[in-house]
Amino acid sequence: MGLSILFLVQTPPYKSENPKLALTHALAGPLTELHIDEEVKTTVAFVGDGVLNCLKDQKSMDHWDITSTEQHLRNLLLSDVPVMVCKEDLEKFGISKDRLVDATEMGAEISIEVVPFSEIQAKIDEATALMCF
Amino acid sequence: MGILTIGTFASLVGSMNLDFVVKLAATALDKGHEVNLWLSGNSTVLVNKDQKEFKDYSHPGVMLPELIDKGLKVVVCEACAMARGVPKEKAIDGVTYTSMDWYLAYGAKGDRLLHIGRE
Amino acid sequence: MNLALFVSDLRFNQETLDRVTASNLGVFLVENGVYHAVLKEGGSPSAVLEKEGATVYVLNEDLETRGFSGDEVDDRAKVISMSDLVDLIMNDYEKLAWL
Repeated sequence: MGLSILFLVQTPPYKSENPKLALTHALAGPLTELHIDEEVKTTVAFVGDGVLNCLKDQKSMDHWDITSTEQHLRNLLLSDVPVMVCKEDLEKFGISKDRLVDATEMGAEISIEVVPFSEIQAKIDEATALMCF
Repeated sequence: MGILTIGTFASLVGSMNLDFVVKLAATALDKGHEVNLWLSGNSTVLVNKDQKEFKDYSHPGVMLPELIDKGLKVVVCEACAMARGVPKEKAIDGVTYTSMDWYLAYGAKGDRLLHIGRE
Repeated sequence: MNLALFVSDLRFNQETLDRVTASNLGVFLVENGVYHAVLKEGGSPSAVLEKEGATVYVLNEDLETRGFSGDEVDDRAKVISMSDLVDLIMNDYEKLAWL
């Protein structure tokens, strides 16, 4: 099996830039071939308060003149980077799937996957390395 | 002996995560391990060469030149550093400026990766 | 899977610690995470010490920095030095996660 990194995002967006940096780093997977002749596959999983990163209609550009976490999530989906969000944690906050970021209308072939934590645990087991944010 | 890659996003001075990271790197180097240090986000300020050692403030950056001499590889997210006003000419000698693909590549390929994504 | 989880705060995303499992699990209490090894809030020890199947380590440098000594550490945690920490993560735990 090839190299892979699971990005586990546990914190909400904006107050700290770190959840957004998780997304920009995850997008760099295909470029790793420039360094080690191998692509590092990346997956992003949102758990706990981190699921709040996945809400659509973010207006950070309007209010603060900065790119939104939503835009970065769309970039990941458009680049076929798998994005998972924990079902139990969404339910805890009462967030339904229709409130999540989607990029299919922009041409993305994948969407955010709402999955039970057990599937995220399986990714933790499978990944070569972990990055928690 | 193995390869330890440490990546961090924490703030300089305002968080002691960087003090922990530098001490961990120094200890691993002394034990003969190869150590890579990736600095992203607020951590990039760690390479600013104009830091002063005041005992009222944490000052992990002053140890970097000695650790680089011992073999520590320090690699910085260029965009993060430029956003914080720390271009390469303001950095400690021996630091590499590049992009996050370097971190993903060597973080995944090394023996151990400790990623500190929080303050 | 051999997994080391680092706890560096007294208050942190404990949900992740509670849920993640591994066949060989180490919990490393560092920085403000060391309080979990010595404090009894409301008379009760930290739930971190009760993580099922985990070996808990606490970094002596960070204990002493905060005014505690190894004598005060709960029996379920092992006091280690930074040198021990390097040996443990390089030899015994293939994956590391800073919560």
